[in-house]
Amino acid sequence: MIALLTATLGIVVLFSVATGAIRIAPGAIIAAVFGRHTLTATQDIILLQIRLPRVLASALVGAALAVAGLLFQGLFRNPMADPYVIGSSGGAMLGACIGIFFFSQLSFFGFSAIALLAFAGSNVTMVIVYSLARSNGKTNVVTLLLAGFSVSTMLGYSSYFFEALNRNGGSNQAILLSWLRGVIGTPRWTQLIVTGAIIPLTIVIAFPLMRRLNTLALGDEYAQQLGMKVEYTRVGIVITGSLLTAAAVSLAGLISFAGLIVPHVARLFLGPDHVRLLPVTALSGAIFLVVADTLARSVFSPAEIPVGILMAFIGGPFFLYLLRKSKRSGTL
Amino acid sequence: MKSILSFHDVGFGYDALEVISSANFEIPTGICTALIGPNGAGKSTLLRLAAGTLPARSGCVLLNGAPLSNLKIKQIARIVALVPQQFDVPFQFTVRQVVEQGRTPYLSLLRGMTKEDRIAVDRALDFADVTGLQQRIFNELSGGERQRVKIALGLAQEPELLLLDEPTQNLDIGRQVELIDLLHSLNREGITIFASIHDLQLLERNFSSVLLLSPDLPLMKGTPEEILKPSLLEKAFNCPPRRHPLLLERIHHYSKRA
Repeated sequence: MIALLTATLGIVVLFSVATGAIRIAPGAIIAAVFGRHTLTATQDIILLQIRLPRVLASALVGAALAVAGLLFQGLFRNPMADPYVIGSSGGAMLGACIGIFFFSQLSFFGFSAIALLAFAGSNVTMVIVYSLARSNGKTNVVTLLLAGFSVSTMLGYSSYFFEALNRNGGSNQAILLSWLRGVIGTPRWTQLIVTGAIIPLTIVIAFPLMRRLNTLALGDEYAQQLGMKVEYTRVGIVITGSLLTAAAVSLAGLISFAGLIVPHVARLFLGPDHVRLLPVTALSGAIFLVVADTLARSVFSPAEIPVGILMAFIGGPFFLYLLRKSKRSGTL
Repeated sequence: MKSILSFHDVGFGYDALEVISSANFEIPTGICTALIGPNGAGKSTLLRLAAGTLPARSGCVLLNGAPLSNLKIKQIARIVALVPQQFDVPFQFTVRQVVEQGRTPYLSLLRGMTKEDRIAVDRALDFADVTGLQQRIFNELSGGERQRVKIALGLAQEPELLLLDEPTQNLDIGRQVELIDLLHSLNREGITIFASIHDLQLLERNFSSVLLLSPDLPLMKGTPEEILKPSLLEKAFNCPPRRHPLLLERIHHYSKRA
């Protein structure tokens, strides 16, 4: 299964870099990789400087959001949690905005203030929404969705507020606008290397949390009765989830529902065991977003639509379907 | 007689509301004890205090002579298992996946399930007679099947003391008898049973000791014969005299013996 998904990801990436205003045959790319064919200088630049970074960024963002969704769904014991829905993306976004406009030159231990503030923003939002949605060791789904909705709306518009204040334009504003729409731009290679290290590493670190998510599914009190330190586990989930969200937001801004759909579909095939779900969710998330971004930039070619908009078109109805399903099964 | 569980002046309340005040009792090792009392008397709370999921506000709960507050939660979970009344599982977990969670107190950060754990899970499923259900989805089971799976989950902890919160509630009489028989077979394996029971008819012949918890009376313990006296039950459950068939039956029972 994992081998199959890895192979699929490879193929999808290949076709994605081949697709665009200037078509490059996938066969030629493979031949070039093995040194049996030379591409023209223009093709080289298009592939290495423009398309590949973007495709890799989509894969990273997809994996990060899907795993963050899996973590949050397990934490809230509910299939409707996702970094966007519960506001953690919005929190990361606002944190990053504050970083861009006030502390763009600062950095700590090699991490820019922007990245750290994005991480902090996501954490703070999680804590707020979590404490609002919990009562007596249970998550009230309606409260969770309402709290998540209001917090992410507030945070989204706070980010617009910054954008509106900063009318003198410049690169800051351009970044912000693309984030709000959910555009996967072409990241710099340095940015790609940092997030490319953080995201897979965090997914690996999340592995020991997966068995605990299975135990947590029985409820907080039961997990405690089984000798699990529920508080530590929750903190671990919130931190890893926020780290993944912040990394994803720094590459692509607000992308809705990706973290909702992928874990859900994976669960339909594999069942709810989080240990088995983690690698599959990460790989499928990557595949899913690479495909989505390729469609977003090629369907209306030469015009490009932000992948965030495409995701809202796919994810919105899917979310409503989940809502209807849980209303039927009486879990709402 | 050795006690696996003892309460010394244990008090507990939620905020200002006192639920349990200075409770003193012992649960002897190796027997079946029932906990009875009216709705809201604090039976579930008392079981949670015994399992350590709620900390006593005052006094001390001892497990095999050691204060619960001195034990690590994993240590407690290897000795005591609590089968709760309310138990809902999100997502489509199978019975086996649910029961496997009972091994949690034996796992650590990097130590996952081993062969030994799998054997313990098999034994727990077998004991509770749910081996045939292990690949079924927990949420699709009937009430009686769920109750057995919950017990299997508790057994996977390999406990010395099994606490059960209303295990016979919402079961038909056939399933009730099956459940009581299951408790007896577990008891024969050396597991001490302490269960809150709603159906007072089930006490006689099935439980050797009964603990009566009522807001209007001090905590009382005795044999079913000693506790199931009509006058005592009327007071404890605040029930008008001779109104319930059980009370009439008990009156008949005692007059016959006299």
